[in-house]
Amino acid sequence: MADVPGDFGFSDDHEILRDGARRFLEERCPIEEIRRLADDPVGHDPGVWKEMAELGWAGLTIPEAHGGAGLGNLHQALLLEEMGRRLLPSPYLGGALAALAIERAGDAAQQARWLPGIASGDTLASLGWLEPEGSWEPSDVKATARREGDTWVLSGTKAHVPCGADAALVVAPFVADGEIALFAIAGGFQAEAEVSIDPTRRTARLQFDGLAVPDDTRLSGGDLATWRTILLQSAAWLAAEMVGAAEATLGLTRDYAIDRKQFERQIGSFQAVKHPLVDDMIGIELARNHVYGAAAAFDAGETEAAETGARMAKAMASDVLARAVRHGVQFHGGYGFTLDCDMHFYFKRALFCRAMLGDAVHHRRHLAATLFGDTGA
Amino acid sequence: MSQAVEETESREIAEFRAEVRAWLAENRPPKPDFVMPQNFLFVETNEQFEYLRDWQAKVYEAGYLGLDWPAEYGGGGDTLKRQRIVTQETGRAGTPFFVNTIGLQWAGPVILKYGTEEQKKKFLKPILSAEEIWCQGFSEPGAGSDLASVQTRAEPAASGNGWTVNGHKVWTTIGTRAKWMILLARTDPDAGKYPGLSFFLMPMQVPGVEVLPLIKMTGEGGFNQVIFTDAAMPRGAMLGAPGQGWEVAMATLTFERGAAEGTGGGQATSSADTVQRAAKLASQTQRDGRPASEDPLLRDRLVQLWMQEEGLRLGGMRRRVPGLSPDRPMVLALMNKLVYSEYAQNLAELGCEILGPDAALWMGDPNAPADAEWPRAYMNSFGMTIGGGTSEIQRNILGERVLGLPKSK
Ligand SMILES: Cc1cc2nc3c(=O)[nH]c(=O)nc-3n(C[C@H](O)[C@H](O)[C@H](O)COP(=O)(O)OP(=O)(O)OC[C@H]3O[C@@H](n4cnc5c(N)ncnc54)[C@H](O)[C@@H]3O)c2cc1C
Repeated sequence: MADVPGDFGFSDDHEILRDGARRFLEERCPIEEIRRLADDPVGHDPGVWKEMAELGWAGLTIPEAHGGAGLGNLHQALLLEEMGRRLLPSPYLGGALAALAIERAGDAAQQARWLPGIASGDTLASLGWLEPEGSWEPSDVKATARREGDTWVLSGTKAHVPCGADAALVVAPFVADGEIALFAIAGGFQAEAEVSIDPTRRTARLQFDGLAVPDDTRLSGGDLATWRTILLQSAAWLAAEMVGAAEATLGLTRDYAIDRKQFERQIGSFQAVKHPLVDDMIGIELARNHVYGAAAAFDAGETEAAETGARMAKAMASDVLARAVRHGVQFHGGYGFTLDCDMHFYFKRALFCRAMLGDAVHHRRHLAATLFGDTGA
Repeated sequence: MSQAVEETESREIAEFRAEVRAWLAENRPPKPDFVMPQNFLFVETNEQFEYLRDWQAKVYEAGYLGLDWPAEYGGGGDTLKRQRIVTQETGRAGTPFFVNTIGLQWAGPVILKYGTEEQKKKFLKPILSAEEIWCQGFSEPGAGSDLASVQTRAEPAASGNGWTVNGHKVWTTIGTRAKWMILLARTDPDAGKYPGLSFFLMPMQVPGVEVLPLIKMTGEGGFNQVIFTDAAMPRGAMLGAPGQGWEVAMATLTFERGAAEGTGGGQATSSADTVQRAAKLASQTQRDGRPASEDPLLRDRLVQLWMQEEGLRLGGMRRRVPGLSPDRPMVLALMNKLVYSEYAQNLAELGCEILGPDAALWMGDPNAPADAEWPRAYMNSFGMTIGGGTSEIQRNILGERVLGLPKSK
């Protein structure tokens, strides 16, 4: 698989974006802010969101013609990694995924209609990635779209929609005439906030009770294959955020292992603590290789390799983050078991992210079919 | 770099790659009719040795070894990039490994780094051509992971000319064939554990050097004990300065573990055990009456190894893009040996499991699949997780040097 450019397409402006993001987020998103927002009804800081939009992040990968920054997947991965490090509570992810879907599936007019609003940060958008049955398979869609005159009537439920209660625009799949079709829906649905396990990431359940929407809200290229690619690219992006979260987790545990003394020694000198942390670090680096590899392959238009890379990235990031937070709680001892310790935020983020866009077992099952060139066992 | 320059360069590289590929296709040696060792640690018989030595000499004469070493020492005076292409292509072609691996990958680079002009002129070319084989005398019965506790003594010779060596080295790979040894010995017993050590280029074929073969768990030979009894080492044998031995030894290990570049080239093993090969094996092997490739649990384990293999491959690329590892610049290099050796061990073990009952057949049995190459690879894989610093020691190094955790007592 010599399909990823040797340098991953990395350049100075990737570095500038990453370093700028790191500084900005360090300042705007300290852990005190996470604690404050965890109890906030909205769950994110609209002022920070406005600043992020001004920095051009809300439209990071949206083409310049539609008001975005026109940057690529590797930029996206590096930015999400920084956000993951800080557990940034933000409508960012949902908006980025909705924009991705509209870019991949929408025609020129549809892109021109919705992307500028997302890019400016004015339209809070999100992706209806799951239904209550919880299947990660792109073909498993129960919600339906029925033709009625020149409208579509949408029925069904979307679950775990990020920032779904605040979203003004949601892209989601429905079955229309027996085929998967993607719609961009600007309100009109009922949104009920879920109690998300992750206090830094709000979700909602969206109910479509025969909602009539105009014909041109159906994205013209939104078939099953496109939806599948959108979900895999989303998984690759989420994996980037997870690698960032895992890195921060490891950093906290490492610092504690240096500070904390028992038996007149720093606990980090015990190999029973040290070696698992080394394995976490190795896992993070390997997952990061996949995250950057998948991003570079998407940027190079190597879709098949990119999709394999996306699965590897999400599978590995899911396991690695889960392991890092597990060690994080364990190696903080009794303190790690409390709400006072910051670790629980990462722990909950890990549970959330693993459950979205396919967990490790899901992706590995698909990878096995790729490896053996069959349809799966 | 302007786009035009970039394009010509990559065209040049592509042409070079095609040239190497064509040369390898034309010149690869015929498959021998004797059992071949799986890597350089297990070279035993004369016919194995000669076959491998001829191959290395041929590759060197064709100009494909030591490409990045200076021309005045027998190298190609060319770029590391080209050497890497040769390494990739020999790996792809599955040609035999290079028998003088210790010379190419440890001794050579460290002589280039610390050697005098005279030492470089004398030693480097015969390393590349495999005329002079090198071994490594670091470990001792009492000094393995705790390498700095070596007790072998090098004292100024009574004659006033050179050194006298006494001591006991062990696990000395390819010691019976070696003309030279990189030797870590104690020159000043009063100077303390680390400063008391010096590094030498020791002749092996002199009186007072006794090489006693050891047998590995597979029944193969390849490593030895080396007993020094008043063995004479000439003047000028020291590499670096007196008391600098530990530093030079650490530099050697950096090359050995693949954490630094500039190592004459060539792969050290030719058993191309990849996940693809194991997948093929699974497709061809029956398990409880069905192809093993249909077993979901085996599939999942193989995929986990595939993710490692791909992760390692991508890591090799990412290593060359420092901007993508700003926070831990050394990590990819330092973790490589550990991750690779454990991956290879797990893969070889999984190969045995895929074989099912046939994994119980050993070399020489007519029904042993591929003469038991998977069980043999599994046993041999411990050479990599123990040799060159055990996996546990690698984890200590990563934890302390990269993560900054306190030293384990
Ligand atoms: C195939 C092969 C080829 C070799 N070739 C050469 C060669 O050519 N030249 C040469 O000089 N040497 C060679 N070696 C030796 C090799 O470098 C040593 O075997 C290795 O460094 C381990 O030393 P030891 O065998 O004394 O094991 P020990 O150091 O006794 O270790 C025994 C066990 O204890 C563990 N352990 C030790 N210290 C620690 C610690 N601080 N923390 C946690 N665990 C620890 C080890 O990981 C290991 O599992 C070779 C070894 C092999 C297997």
